Amino acid sequence: MAKTVIVSCGTAIATSTVAAKAIEEACKAAGIDVVTKQCKAAEIKNFVDGADLIVTTSQVRFDPGIPVINGLAFLTGIGKDKVIEEIIATLKG
Amino acid sequence: MDSFLVGLKALFDTLGSTVMLPIIIFVFALVLGTKPGKAFRSAVIIGVAFIGINLIIGLMWGSIDGVAKAMVANAGIERDIIDVGWPAAAAIAFGTDVGLWVIPVALLVNIVLLALRLTKTLNVDVWNFWHFAFAGSLVYAATGNLTLGIASAAVAAALMLFFADWTAPAVQDFYNLPGISIPHGTSTAYVALAIPINLLLDRIPGLKDLDADPDAIERRFGPTFGDPMVMGLIIGIILGLIGYFGEFASAGFIATFGKILLLGVNLAAVMVLLPRMVSILMEGLIPISEAAREFMQKRASGREVYIGLDSAILIGHPAVISASLVLVPIAILLSIILPGNRMLLFADLAIFPFVIALTGPVTKGNVVRMIIIGTLIIIVGFYLGNAMAPAMTDAAANAGFAFPEGASQISSVGDGFIWIPWAFMVLGGGLGWIGVILFTVVMAVFWYFYKKNTAAWEAAAGGPAAGD
Repeated sequence: MAKTVIVSCGTAIATSTVAAKAIEEACKAAGIDVVTKQCKAAEIKNFVDGADLIVTTSQVRFDPGIPVINGLAFLTGIGKDKVIEEIIATLKG
Repeated sequence: MDSFLVGLKALFDTLGSTVMLPIIIFVFALVLGTKPGKAFRSAVIIGVAFIGINLIIGLMWGSIDGVAKAMVANAGIERDIIDVGWPAAAAIAFGTDVGLWVIPVALLVNIVLLALRLTKTLNVDVWNFWHFAFAGSLVYAATGNLTLGIASAAVAAALMLFFADWTAPAVQDFYNLPGISIPHGTSTAYVALAIPINLLLDRIPGLKDLDADPDAIERRFGPTFGDPMVMGLIIGIILGLIGYFGEFASAGFIATFGKILLLGVNLAAVMVLLPRMVSILMEGLIPISEAAREFMQKRASGREVYIGLDSAILIGHPAVISASLVLVPIAILLSIILPGNRMLLFADLAIFPFVIALTGPVTKGNVVRMIIIGTLIIIVGFYLGNAMAPAMTDAAANAGFAFPEGASQISSVGDGFIWIPWAFMVLGGGLGWIGVILFTVVMAVFWYFYKKNTAAWEAAAGGPAAGD
């Protein structure tokens, strides 16, 4: 079954699109079937059900009960490979 | 140079931005070293995004223009400037003749200023170069001089590096984002206004210690004012009631009621669909922005630089979210009661977190103060938005967004409420080269004082003071 990754940022438009596309590419290369869902930071609560992982370029302020990974590296380019490794390791669980 | 630009411009005008921008993006992506297949796909998807945005703007237009006219006829409320929202403003800015040039021009400005050690910011947020294009497009719309428009965009890009440097320690400390700065037009513009107001509030007894609980505000306001779709529905129904109230008697209850509800659902659809379309545009820009980032980082290696990012990364902060939620009803109220205002607030109700994000460090996260400062920004903004509407409507036409003959004008909160494009429009549009040079000189003077008194400036913006 496909893994669901929530990708959140301030608007669900700009920075989360960058992170979501990068995650989709990396997972495809690693042979993981993945679906990304973009949302605003304030909406994460509505998306958590059935999701496997949250990657956020802004902040998560509550305990969502699933792993949260900071996706700032997708924007800065610094440490991006490490974050991708972390995401893949989490999804392979 | 000018005849070359004029020749290119004739070609662009014939083909239109839906065709031209993809071609430019394709060539530019290849130059920066993107693989042809990837460059081609992202180029085409940008054209697709433009078509999608145009469709949704058409839907918004068909819905709002009719009710705006009915409001004038039936209720005497004249609101003929329609807020198309920052997603449309960004598409317009990238789609004008200035927008076609903004990416290489802003990158060049950044490289030069980094090399001269005038800035520490490496702006990799290529998407938000649209703010510079927006300012330049207004100058171009006012003067018809493309070189002047591009020069204005270049100066706007430099100004944003200055603002990003100045606010960087505040951002890094308050939002806990080491090494990051925010060269974002909508967010940095009003820091200079927030500082004196905050100092003034420090002196007012009673107000001085007032604060509010962000979580309580979010619980109360979040479900309605935090959801653009619900806001679209509510606004549609309210506008419909004002505009079409008289038709209950003449056209029958069911027909009129249906018309009002349909308006609500149409506007809810715009709120959901417009951001999706812009997200497609973003997808097309990713290869360019990644290639540009690598290109820039190679040239800045071994230096202490701030990575300049979108203020979207700040928006999760509770104080920012809750203060912006309260600003939504305040802004709607202001759009009704402000004397002389002709702008109908609609598509940009979700932008307020961006407008006040950098007042967070200035006020140390005080929600009440952020609301007060935000309200003042919005009041100023309405008048700037009204003033910029004709030029913005011209810029939209230049970008190939077709508005019906005799239709209303357009504006937006981002960046229609922002003083930077307004100042460019007044100075560059009114005085031509002299105006743009004047802007540059004033900027250089402030930059000089910032460089002389860096610590004090940065502390005023909310950065950690010496000894903190």
